[in-house]
Amino acid sequence: MGKERRKSTLKEQIDENLRRAYSETAEEAVPERFLKLLEELRRREGNSAGGTGGEDGGES
Amino acid sequence: MSAPDPRDELVEHLPAMRAFAMSLAHNPATADDLVQDALVKAWSNFDKFEPGTNMRAWLFTILRNTFYSMHRKRRREVEDPDGIMAGQLSEKPAHDGRLAMSDFRAAFAQLTDQQREALTLVGASGFSYEEAAEMCGCAVGTIKSRTFRARRRLAELMDLAEDEQIEMTDAATVAAVSGKPAA
Repeated sequence: MGKERRKSTLKEQIDENLRRAYSETAEEAVPERFLKLLEELRRREGNSAGGTGGEDGGES
Repeated sequence: MSAPDPRDELVEHLPAMRAFAMSLAHNPATADDLVQDALVKAWSNFDKFEPGTNMRAWLFTILRNTFYSMHRKRRREVEDPDGIMAGQLSEKPAHDGRLAMSDFRAAFAQLTDQQREALTLVGASGFSYEEAAEMCGCAVGTIKSRTFRARRRLAELMDLAEDEQIEMTDAATVAAVSGKPAA
């Protein structure tokens, strides 16, 4: 009985820890490097395809 | 310039992508490299995304594929990169009997790639077994058995970490109740 109870507590703790580990990262602010990367991708595209966005480009 | 670019939505999925990458890669630097590669791939293959379908699932699929190809490469370069994490398992459980997060992370790191992946998709990021199966390119039953095995393995690993503490309590309890030392 005690063993079973311990097992279910362990399972709850596994699930709780799993979600906690995940949300710890998921709730962090997105690092600047990714926002810069998205900007860069958009800008490059603006240069080659000439659709949206892209004020200035000028990469070699 | 008129219609909203669906790629604007990418940024909303970045936190989840990072969390998923962390569960696959263990170490933050590798995880973020993974996100970066996946993001570039997603951007340049955006025409392959079907509007109206689940963008997060699509991004996670790209991310996991990136992980497996990156991982294969690294495995050849460095032997058992996960060994570092496994070494942390000797840490003691928290005093209140709850499992310390570090114990959990160390145990989690000992799972296979596929187990971590399945468990994260189903147990933490809220995908259904069906969605996870589609993302991993396998049968629903395979995802179910991976998550089942992952949980069981985690329980075993964390049970081990807890044993010291709990067995002493049990023995003491048994001895007190029965009036003789526990076998």
